[in-house]
Amino acid sequence: MHAGTATHDTHDASSHIHPPPEGFIAKYVFSLDHKVIGFQYFFTGVFILMIAGSFAELIRIQLVDPNGAIMSHSVYNSMFTMHGTAMVWLVLIPLVTGAIGNFVMPLQIGARDVAFPWLNMISFWIFPVAAVILFSSLLFGSPHAGWTEYPPVSLQDGTAGALWCMAIFVIGISSTMTGLNFMVTIIKMRAPGMTWTRMPLFVWATFATALMNMIATVALSAAVGALFLEHVFNVPFFDPSRGGSAVLFQHMFWFYSHPAVYIFILPAFGIISEVLPTFARKPIFGYKMIAFSSMAIAILGFTVWMHHMFPSGVAPWLQIPFMILTLAIGIPTGIKIFSWIATLWGGRIHYTTSMLYALGFLIAFTFGGITGVILASVPVDLHMHGTYFVVGHFHYVVAGGAVMGFFAAIPYWYPKATGRLMSEKLAKLGFWLFFIGLNGTFLPMHWLGMEGMPRRYASYAYFAKAFPDAVFWNRFETVFSFFMVASVGVMVFNLVWSLKHGKPAGINPWGARTLEWTISSPPPYYNFKHIPEVYDRPYNFDKPLPYGNLDNVVDVYPKFGEIVMPSPVPEPVGAGH
Amino acid sequence: MKSIEMQAVEARYNDVDAVYHETRDLRLLGFVFFLISDCILFSSFIFAYVYLRTSAPTWPPFVDGHQLPWFDTSYAALNSVVLFGSGVTMHYALENWKHLNRQAFYAWLVATIILGLAFLGGQAHEWTGVLQAGVTWPGSTMGASFFTLTGLHGFHVFIGVCYLTILGIQAHKGVYTGSKYFGLTAGTLYWHFVDVIWVALFFLFYLW
Repeated sequence: MHAGTATHDTHDASSHIHPPPEGFIAKYVFSLDHKVIGFQYFFTGVFILMIAGSFAELIRIQLVDPNGAIMSHSVYNSMFTMHGTAMVWLVLIPLVTGAIGNFVMPLQIGARDVAFPWLNMISFWIFPVAAVILFSSLLFGSPHAGWTEYPPVSLQDGTAGALWCMAIFVIGISSTMTGLNFMVTIIKMRAPGMTWTRMPLFVWATFATALMNMIATVALSAAVGALFLEHVFNVPFFDPSRGGSAVLFQHMFWFYSHPAVYIFILPAFGIISEVLPTFARKPIFGYKMIAFSSMAIAILGFTVWMHHMFPSGVAPWLQIPFMILTLAIGIPTGIKIFSWIATLWGGRIHYTTSMLYALGFLIAFTFGGITGVILASVPVDLHMHGTYFVVGHFHYVVAGGAVMGFFAAIPYWYPKATGRLMSEKLAKLGFWLFFIGLNGTFLPMHWLGMEGMPRRYASYAYFAKAFPDAVFWNRFETVFSFFMVASVGVMVFNLVWSLKHGKPAGINPWGARTLEWTISSPPPYYNFKHIPEVYDRPYNFDKPLPYGNLDNVVDVYPKFGEIVMPSPVPEPVGAGH
Repeated sequence: MKSIEMQAVEARYNDVDAVYHETRDLRLLGFVFFLISDCILFSSFIFAYVYLRTSAPTWPPFVDGHQLPWFDTSYAALNSVVLFGSGVTMHYALENWKHLNRQAFYAWLVATIILGLAFLGGQAHEWTGVLQAGVTWPGSTMGASFFTLTGLHGFHVFIGVCYLTILGIQAHKGVYTGSKYFGLTAGTLYWHFVDVIWVALFFLFYLW
C-alpha cells in the first residue's frame, strides 16, 4: 500500500500541504483550521450554555413559590425568552454542527480541511457577534414574547425586539454558510474509495443537517428580516390591525424552526451511531436504513411545520395531512431506534461514559419521541399545546436527545482532540447527575401539563388552588434541575483537569474504526499526510481495517483499551517536498 | 489539418492543472448552493406576499377609504425587456470569452452593465410613480410586499452590476485565461439567476 504512495502523491492534487500557520492570531484567533474552529465553537457554545442555563435556573427558582419567588412577571418573560433563544441558536446548533461537525466530519472523510476554510472562519466569527447582539438586548428591556417572538406581542418589544431579530438574522447567515460549506465538503472531498454508502454514519447525519441548514435557515432569515422591518420601519407584514397576518409569521418561522429541531437532533443521531458500534464491538445494524432514514427525516422535516400551529386557527382540512406527516416522521426515527437496539443485541458492551450517555440518549429520546407522537394528534394537541406537557416533551427531546448526544461526543473525541483521556470517574459522575437531573426535572412536567398547568406563566397560584400537588412537584423539579447544573460543572472541571492530568490516549484508545482514529492525537494541522484510500464501510469489527495509504502503522483489528502511540511522523513540510 | 488559430485555442483550453480543476469544482458547487439558498430567501418573501394577498378581503387593499391602484404593467414589461436583454448580452459576453474574442467580450460586458443600470433607473422611476399614487412601504401590505421584494431584487441587480464591473477590471488585468475563468462563469450564473427571479416577480406583481 505504501509502495504506491509516491506515484499517488504526484498525481493527487490535494497532496500539496501548505506550510503551517504562524503567530498566535493566525493559529488560534482567525484560524482557517477546521479543528481550531471547532474548538472555538466549542468554547463559545459551552460558555453561552452556562449563561442560558443560569437563566433556566432563575426560571426554576421563580416557580418554587406559586406566586413567583424572585422576579417580576416581566423579568420572568424575558428570562424564558432569552433562555430559549440562546439555547436553540447559540448553544445547540453551533455545538452540534459547528463544534462536533467541524472537528469530526473532515477527519472522518479523510480530508485536510473543509471546502472553504475562509468561509468557515467567517461563519464562526459572526457567531459571537450574534451572541453579543442578542445579550445586548437585555440592556434595552429584553424581548418578552418567548423564543418564537410571535407578533403582534413581540412588536411591543421595541428596540430589544429589533436586536433579537438582528441577532437571529446574523446567526442564521452563519448556519447557512456552515451548511453550504459542509455540503460541498462532503460531496466533493471524500477520500478516494469512500462512496456514499461507505461514509461513516456521523457524516451522513452531518450531510442531512447541512442540507437543512442551507435551505431552511434562509426562510428564518426572511421571517426575522420581515419582523425587523416591521419593528424599525413600521412595514405592515404581521400586524393584523394594518392588514398583515400574525399567522404568516408563524408559517415562515416554523418552516425553519421545525427543521431546526432536526438540525440539532440529527448530528446527535450520528454521534450515537458512532458510539454504539464502537463500544458494543459489533457492526452497526442496518447501515443503509440509518443513513437513508436521516435523509428521510431531513426531507419529511420540511413538511410538518404546521403541527406547531394547530391552535392558531389553521384550516381543519390542512391539519389532518400535517398530523399524518408528523406521525410519519416517527417511522424513520423508529427505524433508527430499533437499529441501535439491534446493534446492542449480543454485543460485548463496554460501559464507558460515552456509552452511558448513548444508552441514556436511547431511553430519554425514545420517551420524548413517544410524547411527540401523542402531541401530533390534533385533538390532543389542542388541549396540551399551552401546557407544561409540551415543555416536558421538548426538553426530553432536546436535553435528553441533542444535549446527551453532544455529551456522548465529548469523552469520545476528547482524546483525539487533546491526546489525553478524560477522567472516567468524573465523567461518569457527570452522567449520573445529568441523567437523574433530567428525569427529575422534566418527567413531572408531563403530569403537571396533563392537569393543565399553563406554560410561560410567571405564577401558578390559580392552578395550584385547583391542583395542590403542583407546589410539591415544582419544588421537586427545581431541586433536580440543580443536578444538571452540577453535571455541567463537573464536566467543565473534567475538561480542564484532564488536559493536564488525563492518561495519554494514543492513536486509538477506543479501538474505533473510522478514519480519524488512524492519525495521531491531536491530529497535525494537515490531518492526513497521505490522503487515505477506503475499501469498505468502517463498522465490520471482525474484518481488518478497510483503509490503505495510512500515515501510521495501526492495528488492523483495533482492540478496546489498547494504547497505541503514534509512530513518529516525519514532518512533510519544508524544502524536501 | 487544424488551423494555427485552432491549435492556439486548444493550447489555451488545455492549460489546466489539477489543483485548478479541483478548486473550480468546489467553488462552482458552492456558488450554485449559494444561489439555491438565495432563491429560498426570495421564495420566502414571495410566500409572504401570496399569503397576504390571498388572505386579504380585497386586493388592491383600501387605505383611508381609497382603493390603491394596480401597478403599471406595460411600463414594467418594457423594463423587463431591458433586464432580459442584459441576460442575453451576458451570455454572449461569456461565449466570446470562451472563444477568445476579447474585444467582443468587453463590448458585451459593458452592454450588460449599461442595461443593468438602465433597469435600475427604470425601477427607480417606477418607484416614484408608485409612491405618488399612494402605495408606500409602511402604508399597506401591498406596498410592504412590493417594495420589499422589488427592493431586494433591485439590490441584487445593483450587487450584480458591481460584480460584473469588478470582473471586467479583473479580466482586463489578466486574472482570467482561456481556460480559467471561474469568476466569469459565476458572474454569468448570478446574472441569469437575477433574471429568473424577475420573471417570477413580474408575473406575481404585474400579471396576477
